[in-house]
Order: sequence, then structure tokens, then C-alpha cells
Amino acid sequence: MSNTLRLNSSSNKLETIEFYFNDKKLNGYKGEPIAASLLANGIKTIRTCEITGENRGIFCGIGHCYECRAEVDGIPNVRTCLTPARQGAKVFSQASGIKGDMEDES
Amino acid sequence: MKVDVAIIGAGPAGLTAAVEIARNGLSAAVIDEYYRPGGRLLGQYYEDPYAPADQRTWDGKKEADQLEEKARSLGVHIFMNVTVWAVSGKWRVDMAGGDLPAITSNVLLLATGSVEKALPVPGWTLPGVISVGAAQTFTNLHHVAVGKKVMMAGIDPLSLSVMIELKNAGVHVAGMALPPMSSVTGKNKTPLQTVERLQDVAGLAPNLLVRKLGKFALKRFPKLTASGLRFNLLKVNNVPIHLRKAIVKIEGEKNVEAVTLQSVSVDGKPAGKTESVEVDTVCLSNGLYPLIDLAQTAGCRLVDMPELGGTVPLHGPDMTTKVSGLFVAGNITGIEGAKVAMAQGRLAAASILQSLGKQAAITVDEAMTEVTNAREKAPLRFLPDIEEGRIKMNKIWEAESAHG
Repeated sequence: MSNTLRLNSSSNKLETIEFYFNDKKLNGYKGEPIAASLLANGIKTIRTCEITGENRGIFCGIGHCYECRAEVDGIPNVRTCLTPARQGAKVFSQASGIKGDMEDES
Repeated sequence: MKVDVAIIGAGPAGLTAAVEIARNGLSAAVIDEYYRPGGRLLGQYYEDPYAPADQRTWDGKKEADQLEEKARSLGVHIFMNVTVWAVSGKWRVDMAGGDLPAITSNVLLLATGSVEKALPVPGWTLPGVISVGAAQTFTNLHHVAVGKKVMMAGIDPLSLSVMIELKNAGVHVAGMALPPMSSVTGKNKTPLQTVERLQDVAGLAPNLLVRKLGKFALKRFPKLTASGLRFNLLKVNNVPIHLRKAIVKIEGEKNVEAVTLQSVSVDGKPAGKTESVEVDTVCLSNGLYPLIDLAQTAGCRLVDMPELGGTVPLHGPDMTTKVSGLFVAGNITGIEGAKVAMAQGRLAAASILQSLGKQAAITVDEAMTEVTNAREKAPLRFLPDIEEGRIKMNKIWEAESAHG
């Protein structure tokens, strides 16, 4: 996998899956939360603030802060830090279709 | 579903309690909103110098997996990825997220753990600013680097241990600085107060910290140590610990690009000019507080106890509450480490079994002694006055009991 932020570990044995973030095809490991797959792909911005339009990403990583929410397979406001992706999952930054500046940052 | 005991929280306290309850012949259900059991155990990976020689490495994920396996083999029902949004009656647990019907039980055990305190600083909503707990989880559980160059803000037992974990995993940590010195966030976090607290971390990294500063020096001469550290930079695991610099701003347009630090006096007053350090990630640490919402919902009286980390449910030393059929265990009772939480889980189970007239493998008194032992052997103390807090809580409990 071309996931540049993966740390050395035994994860090599894990099964790779493909999913889509804002229509872009990405790889992740089966069973890991979507937020971890996104970060491994260098993606830090998961959504934009509904009011200010500013970028937002992972903050607490365990479901308390709701900053990493996204639309997953048509369901809005899914906390990506708690939710593993399934093969072929379609993840979007916002249910309303706001894309903002969602290109890769790294 | 109807069970004897419903347990909310699949962390060290909840899982240990579930195992103990199931082992003694009662049915239990454990509910948690994370995608896998273990709670804070999942992110923990450190050396415990006080543990027996063959148990020095604390692999929290392994502990979590073993607890889960034991619980499942004993028939404990585990519901993950579901959020408990209400507890009512005696007892009905309503859940969201899994299309599950409510769980009813005779006993409710709240093992909901703790939440990180926010550390607001200009720029903290930028992608790339994360909490110290997130850094730990992404590093040790997901094995994904949180960034290419990390600055940590907040120098405390948790952030120091996570810094060591980040370094061990190969993540570049550029340094650690104090939190912003505002009247809200900087309270109790001045250079002097931070140095006074470092003695609590000595157990975690005795060779690193005590060698540099000396436990004696930390205890007796904190002011002198704090003054001296102005020029004499402390390094732990080769990471500069800026005991006289506080974070004032996080900069960047779309992501974190830099962090601004400012020199401060021993008592936390701005002193000297600011400097900008280029980083792509900022990790904020401001401590933890007990997650008590469901205790409040269940009608349990709450007590404000800063020594325990915040507001906690009124509870006895045996993990009982004044609400019949309601028990608590783990960080909901005060912020401590996983081994204490596990001992509290076992204690809560013993108390629950006793309340239901069941013979337990361990008595309540024995289990209470185990909690005390776990506390004494804890490799790091998250709160300096935890024992004092426990004593205060016991006194309130006794006074309340005397009045019926």
C-alpha cells in the first residue's frame, strides 16, 4: 500500500480493502476505522465547518468530539473514528455535498 | 434482552467486572460505542518498572483481547458500536446505532471511563490538532503516524508517557511545551507547578527523569529547578521539554503549519519574545475528567471533587451508590490507571454478587484490598492528590450513610 503514514507493525498481515473518499479511490485495512485509513493516506481534512467553511479533522479519536463526522454509504454524521469501512464504502465530507478544499494536503 | 447485570463501558473496569460476574453464574451484557472492546487499554503500550520482571511490558491491546476472549467464552453478551442514550427504570438501557431492542437488567454497572478536557488555544480547530488520547490511539492501536513533525502542548504524566510511546513508534516529536497561560487553561500549569508534578512521572521513566533532575530535587526545590530550567533545557528521550515556554497560537491556513511559543516566568507570566516552530501536528493535553452523564440520568447524586478529576457519582469504597441496583467502577469514580480500573471492576462485581445474595470467588474485603494494592503499585499517577480524594469521598459516603 502507498499509505505513507503507516508505522512499522504486524499490520502487514491484515487484509486490504478499497473505499472511496469524495469519489477518490483509497486503500485501507479491513476492520480499522475510516479515520485511520484516511490519515494513513495523508488526508487530515474530513469535513468543513457548516457555518464558517473552515477545515475540520480528527480531534479526540474515540467518538466524543464528533469533529470527524462524514457521510458513509448515504448515512450522514457518522463518526469516522468509530466506524470501520467495508469494501467499496462511499465516504463523503458532507451530506449536503459541500466539497470545500478537499484535495490531499500531504 | 434481559440480563442480570448490564454494564456500560467495555474498558478495563467493565470487562473485568463482566468476567467476574459471568464466572459466578450470572448473566451480563456489556455495551460500548467503540468498534472493539478494550477502552483506553487499546492504546496503552509502556514499560512498568514496578511490575514483576516477566510483566514489565504493559501491552494494553493484548490485555483487552484476553479480557474479551475470557468474557465471550463465559457467555457475556458484548455489544459494540452502539451508543447508550438513556437508562431508566430498574433497569432499562436504550441504545442507538445497532437497531437493538432495549436491554433490561436487575443491576446496572456504569464503567463509562473518562473524557479529555479541551485545551482551547487560537487555531485549535485546524486539521492536525489532536488530543493526546487520539495520538496514543492512532499510534499504538491503528499504527498510523499522527504527523511528520509533532509539537505537544501540556506537560503532564499522560502527555509524557504518550510522548515516549510516539518516540518508540518512530514518530518525530519536535518538543513539548506548556499549555496557554490563560486564567482558565493555565491554572495550576505554571512552570513551577509543572515541575512539582513531574515527580509523579518518575515511576514511568525513572532512568530518564530521575537521572536528569533527581526525585529529591523535584520534591524539595521545585522553584529552584524551575528557575534553573530556563537555560538548561531538559530532554527526555531526546525530545526537548520546554518547561519555560507556553503555546500561544497554532498557525496554518488549511492545516497546521506552525506553532507559536512564548517564554514565561516561573509563575507563568509572559516573559520574553515569541518564536515560531514549523510542525504539521499539534497534540494537546489537559488531563481527563470522569464521564458521568449516565450516573446523573440514573438519579445518582454527584459530588464535585477536583482531587478525583472533576464531578463524580457519590459512591462507597465498595463501588456501591445510594441508588439501589446502581454500581460504578473505573475512571467514572476518579482518574487512575488501567490496573486500578480492573481491580475496581472486580470489586464492583463482588459487591454486585453480594447484593444479589450470590457467593463470589472473591470477597468484597479482599477485592477492596486489591484496589489499594493496585493504586500503590501504579506506574504513574494522573492526579497528585488521588488518595486524599478517595478519603474525602469515603467520609462523605459514611456521613450520608449515618443519616440514612
